[in-house]
Amino acid sequence: MVHQQQVKPRRTAPLHLSQGVFASLLIAPAMIFIAVIVAWPLIETFRLSFTDARLGGETYVGLENYQDLADSRKFRQTISRTFYWMFLSVSLKLILGLIGATLLNAAVPGRGLFRVLIMPPWVIPIAIGMIGWLWLYNGAFGLLSGALQYIDVVDKSFEFLAYKRSAFYSAVVADVWVGTPMVSLFFLAAMQGVSRDLYEAAWVDGASRWYRFRRITIPQIMPVIVSMALLSAIWTFNSFEVIWILTEGGPRSASTTLIVDTYKTAIANFKFGEGAARAVIIVILLAIFSLIYLFFLNKVNKHYGVK
Amino acid sequence: MATLDLKSIGKSFGDAQVLHDIELSINDKEFIVFVGPSGCGKSTLLRIIAGLEEATTGSLLIDGDDVSDAHPIDRGISMVFQSYALYPHLSVFENIAFPLRVAKLSKSVLEDKVQRAAEILQLTDKLNLKPGQLSGGQRQRVAIGRSIVREPKIFLFDEPLSNLDAALRGDMRVELSQLHRDLRATMIYVTHDQVEAMTMADRIVVLNQGRVEQFGTPMELYHHPATKFVAAFIGQPNMNFLPATVTDVGDAGLCVQVDAGPALVLPVESAGVSAGDRVEVGIRPEDITQGAGGLNINVSVVERLGGISITYGTTDGGTRLCAALGGTADIREDQKAELKLEPKDCHVFDSAGKVLRRRQAPVLVE
Repeated sequence: MVHQQQVKPRRTAPLHLSQGVFASLLIAPAMIFIAVIVAWPLIETFRLSFTDARLGGETYVGLENYQDLADSRKFRQTISRTFYWMFLSVSLKLILGLIGATLLNAAVPGRGLFRVLIMPPWVIPIAIGMIGWLWLYNGAFGLLSGALQYIDVVDKSFEFLAYKRSAFYSAVVADVWVGTPMVSLFFLAAMQGVSRDLYEAAWVDGASRWYRFRRITIPQIMPVIVSMALLSAIWTFNSFEVIWILTEGGPRSASTTLIVDTYKTAIANFKFGEGAARAVIIVILLAIFSLIYLFFLNKVNKHYGVK
Repeated sequence: MATLDLKSIGKSFGDAQVLHDIELSINDKEFIVFVGPSGCGKSTLLRIIAGLEEATTGSLLIDGDDVSDAHPIDRGISMVFQSYALYPHLSVFENIAFPLRVAKLSKSVLEDKVQRAAEILQLTDKLNLKPGQLSGGQRQRVAIGRSIVREPKIFLFDEPLSNLDAALRGDMRVELSQLHRDLRATMIYVTHDQVEAMTMADRIVVLNQGRVEQFGTPMELYHHPATKFVAAFIGQPNMNFLPATVTDVGDAGLCVQVDAGPALVLPVESAGVSAGDRVEVGIRPEDITQGAGGLNINVSVVERLGGISITYGTTDGGTRLCAALGGTADIREDQKAELKLEPKDCHVFDSAGKVLRRRQAPVLVE
């Protein structure tokens, strides 16, 4: 009798998984990654904010940390200073960025060179840039103080970072210096995306340069302006290196923003619990910004006819 | 009143000369079409008239005034762009009102003018929409609306229909002709589509490599093309060109022997040619008939459109030929056919491509 070999389908054993499980498996690596890198630290920070964690250990203290912050006049000052810092710096970045982009977009010889030349503040490490600013602001050797003396604005050397008010504004200027190039480049990219025909049509209709800027350029790049305003607000809110390297938040907390305060509390003074409470407040504030942003972006996109 | 005179206009971009010595004289209320293949300089010429480009040489006169250096507003022109150039963030109303806002017209006058333009262009119920919510044809109308509110002396159109589908293009052609009649303004229209040129123009400027090949009415261009280029460009399907040799020059016209074809006596002005010269005989597909005419072709493709049968083939001499024969013509693919040319329908071009003017041609009753 001939042995008849049964023909078996030769394939790997099928995995009897339901579609849902299979899908979950596929996204599992990403989920684990996010859980470890984002979710866990966030939850841990949240937990810590209800403790008095220090180097020695931690005990649960409930809302005490938040209560302390709410009662602290200093903390309220820090918050309003942070918003002032953010408002001032972001406004300047947007205005200067817009002016810069307009100039870089103008048909002038060598504009390619200028487009490269504005990059360094943004490209070089912030620490290096800030050391440059430290020298500029230095009273004894600094260029600015020297120049002001030379043109008789001040009569003796001026230490920019030594006084509460001048330290704060000096930090703003340095922060604007770091942040403007990127804003400029984004605005420039948006401007280059505006159809040439629109400008030609407006020009044929007799619109002046300013009129074209106001009624074509600005509306056309408005979605990018809104995006940059929010992103820049978040970055400026969280801007740490600039302040830390220039003033460490001083003198006498004059340039301490929320992020600097958090660092000082949690890392410099080892009060992890109190620091975590500050961090949670930062998260909440940034979440609110993001919601406002999404709301505005939607409106702007609708209003300016971006489909 | 708006006449336009171009006096030896030339334009170079760096070393590349795109326009050579353009001389045109355009009458008041004329509908002029610039037509030519891409890269012939027609859009550049329009942009020079608009003031968007400066001519390298020559001058531009509107109503006799030199406006070579004047702003478009002072020239009294308005322009409709190929891309429509509508402002996406503004409503239809604001798009049409844009030139009036620039001119700082009072609110009531402005609204009045926009409403009137919207009525002419059937956009009254679309005024609050954004351009993104309109169809291609409606966007086109908005662009035209924006150009008519200013009441310019001269309208310029840069390939305004090229973004529309074929059916809509046909409709818009009729609408534009209607608009020209209603507005009674001078219009200059650029296109690469010879059908648009033939159907809309009072006179056509055929441009080729930056030079004016011919300037005339559509029927002049069709019946009396000045050069082989114009003859090939105007008319659909394209004119056929059969190589031939001149055998004799007589009072009755030019005696030619078509290569591998019939000997014909063609009634054309024959000054400048003599026996032995090589010429080309141009014949339009619609002027070819089937019959004993001595021109044999090997038929390759027959397109039966019902009314006519467009027949493609090759002559015994190897020249490709297209004939528009009757709808029921007895003709088969991959077979031979004998075709006939009427001497009076033939055009003759010398070796330089210049026409020998026909003595007989149909005349359109004006």
